Amino acid sequence: MTPQADFVQPPRIAVWLVTLFTPAKEAESLPGDLLEEFSHLASKSGVAFARSWYWRQTVKTIAHLAGSGFRAAPWSTVAAVVGGLLLIRFGLMFYGQAMDAVLDRYRVYEYLSDLGRQQPSLNVAAAYLFWITRGMLIGRVLVETLVGGIVAAAAKGREMTATVALGLFMSALGVAGCLMMVARTGDYEFLFRWALPAVFADSIAIVVGGAIVRTRRSAAATRPSAA
Amino acid sequence: MFGRDYLGEFEHIVVLALLRLEDRAYGVTVRQEILRRTHREVSIGAVYATLDRLETKGYVKSRHGDPTPERGGRSKRFFRVTAKGVAAVNRTQRALQSMTEGLDLIGSYS
Repeated sequence: MTPQADFVQPPRIAVWLVTLFTPAKEAESLPGDLLEEFSHLASKSGVAFARSWYWRQTVKTIAHLAGSGFRAAPWSTVAAVVGGLLLIRFGLMFYGQAMDAVLDRYRVYEYLSDLGRQQPSLNVAAAYLFWITRGMLIGRVLVETLVGGIVAAAAKGREMTATVALGLFMSALGVAGCLMMVARTGDYEFLFRWALPAVFADSIAIVVGGAIVRTRRSAAATRPSAA
Repeated sequence: MFGRDYLGEFEHIVVLALLRLEDRAYGVTVRQEILRRTHREVSIGAVYATLDRLETKGYVKSRHGDPTPERGGRSKRFFRVTAKGVAAVNRTQRALQSMTEGLDLIGSYS
């Protein structure tokens, strides 16, 4: 018999992505079918061809599974998106207030001003702005990852459908907002350097939050049978 | 309404593949049967999404086979068409035949 180590394995990231989107009742059969065809193709047409086939199947399969997940429960997915939007709004508001409180409490501007007096070459306003903008960006990403996790936890069994739907909706809103801003200001540099990357980082953070919850649930579900 | 459900185009193809494969119908064989007969490269996700929908409607039933080493120890999920599914195929076939009756599709529209 061929030893286990001799088996050619499909791309790990693709396998992980398929597992994320596969419903619990197909958790064994669907990845197993892909692996069976992959092994057959690898021995017949070569590993490179089999790997590229696996990636093509992964992309199409994810699109179908996400779409069918939405069609199976459209209203609860919409409810998850609306709930997620509200959570993001309140989460960011709370984070902004908390950050203002921290800045006031520790008198960050005064501290930087003192530094500026000691070192005249230091641009205090730029340093303050840098601190605030980076702080807000990091905070946004953390809040959105957390909201992605909460939405996924609420949408049991459809974690990725709910978070991808929320991520896509946030992207659409963000891109629309960016286009309106550019139409008014004509500032394309800001659009491509800051605004669009921030919009996509928001959406990716939401989906990452969902993926964390989904991965933990899958691991918990497979643990008893593996023991 | 009861007795008025028709199969969608891809549902129709999947159910016909299951009927052809009989007790050998699972994800891989269904996908390959569709590829062999229609030259249509479909994703395994599309096959499962359709089979799940058909199972919800009561047109197919599934059961899990034994895990096998070439599948990384994962089991197969075998599908078979129920009597209700066969009735839906017949109804859809009759509707298509009725709609195409009298049309010279090759001569007039090619």
